Amino acid sequence: MKNEDFDVIIVGGGVTGAGTARDCALRGLKTLLLERNDIATGATGRNHGLLHSGARYAVADSESARECIIENSIIKRIAPHCVDKTGGLFITLPQDVDAGYGLDYQAKFIQSCRDAGIHAKAIDPAQARMIEPAVNPDIIGAVKVPDASVDPFRLCACNVQDARDHGATVLTYTSITRLLKEGDRITGVQAKGSGGVSLEFRAPVTVLAAGIWSHGLLAQVGIDIEMVASKGSLLVFGHRMSRMVINRCRKSADADILVPGEPVSILGTTSTKVPFEDCDRLRVTREEVELLLREGSALCPELAQTRIIRAYAGVRPLVSTGSSGSDGGGRGASRGIVCLDHEARDGVKGLITITGGKLTTYRLMAEIATDEVCRKLGVKRHCTTATKRLPDIVGRLSRNLKPGRPKPLREDDMVCQCERVGLADIHYAVQELGVKNLEDLRRRTRAGMGTCQGTFCTFRTADALCAELGTPHEAPRLAREYVNERWKGMMPVGWGDTLREMEFMQRVYKEGRPYSYEV
Amino acid sequence: MKFDVIVIGGGSAGLEAALAGCADGRRVALIAKGRSLEDIDYNPFISAGGTLMMGDCVTEGFIEQGNVTGIRTENLGPTLLTADKYILATGKFFGGGLVADMSGIREPLFALDVQYTADGWFDVDFFAPQPFMSFGVKTDAEGHPYKDGVPVANLVAVGDICAG
Repeated sequence: MKNEDFDVIIVGGGVTGAGTARDCALRGLKTLLLERNDIATGATGRNHGLLHSGARYAVADSESARECIIENSIIKRIAPHCVDKTGGLFITLPQDVDAGYGLDYQAKFIQSCRDAGIHAKAIDPAQARMIEPAVNPDIIGAVKVPDASVDPFRLCACNVQDARDHGATVLTYTSITRLLKEGDRITGVQAKGSGGVSLEFRAPVTVLAAGIWSHGLLAQVGIDIEMVASKGSLLVFGHRMSRMVINRCRKSADADILVPGEPVSILGTTSTKVPFEDCDRLRVTREEVELLLREGSALCPELAQTRIIRAYAGVRPLVSTGSSGSDGGGRGASRGIVCLDHEARDGVKGLITITGGKLTTYRLMAEIATDEVCRKLGVKRHCTTATKRLPDIVGRLSRNLKPGRPKPLREDDMVCQCERVGLADIHYAVQELGVKNLEDLRRRTRAGMGTCQGTFCTFRTADALCAELGTPHEAPRLAREYVNERWKGMMPVGWGDTLREMEFMQRVYKEGRPYSYEV
Repeated sequence: MKFDVIVIGGGSAGLEAALAGCADGRRVALIAKGRSLEDIDYNPFISAGGTLMMGDCVTEGFIEQGNVTGIRTENLGPTLLTADKYILATGKFFGGGLVADMSGIREPLFALDVQYTADGWFDVDFFAPQPFMSFGVKTDAEGHPYKDGVPVANLVAVGDICAG
């Protein structure tokens, strides 16, 4: 692998990097994707899992709204297996009237949606309560939009898989130590692989798709871009409370989106500017949790009585546009896509940064970045990602076994019951999807993401995984790491039923109390 | 309804206390929700003449002048149960002996004094000793819990509900 040459090196295994790697590979480029951890470990794995209709941006940012609705329908088409077409509601509450977000605003909102090409339809509050029983019954207005829920882990994994299927090399747990610069040109990267191996890769073009971490990589080669690290905290609730995505029909604010995601519901977010050095160790604060609960209860009152599974936070990589917003958290900064050609901007050849944007527009970001790569390489091939369906990674797993596949999922094969993950899934994930530990497995299969948060399954999953990896002695270490990661998300919400669950976890793991698959 | 001893909580600590109470022919009631982390065999208690109130739970407890004066349960509704001695074995958070919300921790049946810290409930390492696992009701040398700083003379706390 050492000194191998590529056409393009992409840095960052989030959905943007994965999408760019896929696009590059589909256009016939010899592609390398590098990721310092596992795929989807940054902002990709730390958001709502919301496939925006664009309605949220319609009034303030019509360009983002248009991008969203176009990409929303593309992703529903190319990755139906990653999308749950829940639909979304934008609700108006009595207290919104005094704040200037009454039904006049709703009319403006609907018009803005329509101008952007978003199908938005006002419905009677009584009808809204009927199609969405979880919604705050006090609503005085409701608008239906084509929001949806998307599994970002699966979406990212599918992009990685398709990139590999088209010849791309994907290296996870490989961190960039240095961008190689010769004269005024970036000629490749120096990296450290797993086990501390020094690696060097060369390519005429390097794309930084590392989210907020692009900032530090650029600084190394003397390039400064004005980024804002905007922390968003979210809460995961113990069951799927609503059928649809529920939003507040007003200017974007804290905790005004509730998204149903597989068996749970996710509420978010907050928006706080954080120093770059904090991006690797984000903690959800008590104040953020209080704020989320207070505001979130206005969307769905049931939420206040529902067990919180965990809290987590991600960082939006926003790029300052100069015209600052009213708050310091970055809500005013553009959520638009930013693609920087550092040759034109900074006189550094062979380097592109793709950032800004959002999960919903990852494919468009990838297309824009890949167009730029092709322009630099003088390659004339068109993007096909808007029409070419993504492979269904999870469809290859046992839960969706097609006829002729080797091993049907039986009860005694199952390791994670909340998410129905079996031994065959572990086999496939290790052999084909590059899984090296329990967190990786969680991101590919959702093992341990359900309501028990790994309380019952971590031991047996660790055993099964390590048997598959051929390192059975590592099982206790992997189990410890995984449990500690789950614990981290529980501490900020450690009271009520969550604390009961925490005591239970302590007893299961520390006192070795008997537990069975049927518990 | 009058007993010599009422044990609240059907976990291992409650059962042990209930069996001990039966020893010299006293009338003992054991109130057990029927949900425990442990496999509990209540047959020895029944054989010893105990009254097992399975699937019931205490809804209210009354304390006057440093003594428990009676309890009410879900199944028996308004009927007041009384005893000479009460044993509290309701466990920690999982069992419902302690209830935590964002503002603090309380003991829900008698509003007993709970020993806990305002913050620092958790160690970031799951496998290290966890401070919250040592929270519980404060007891004197004989195991009597306190209410408003005064030990409750005819109540004894046993098992996980105790601090420490």
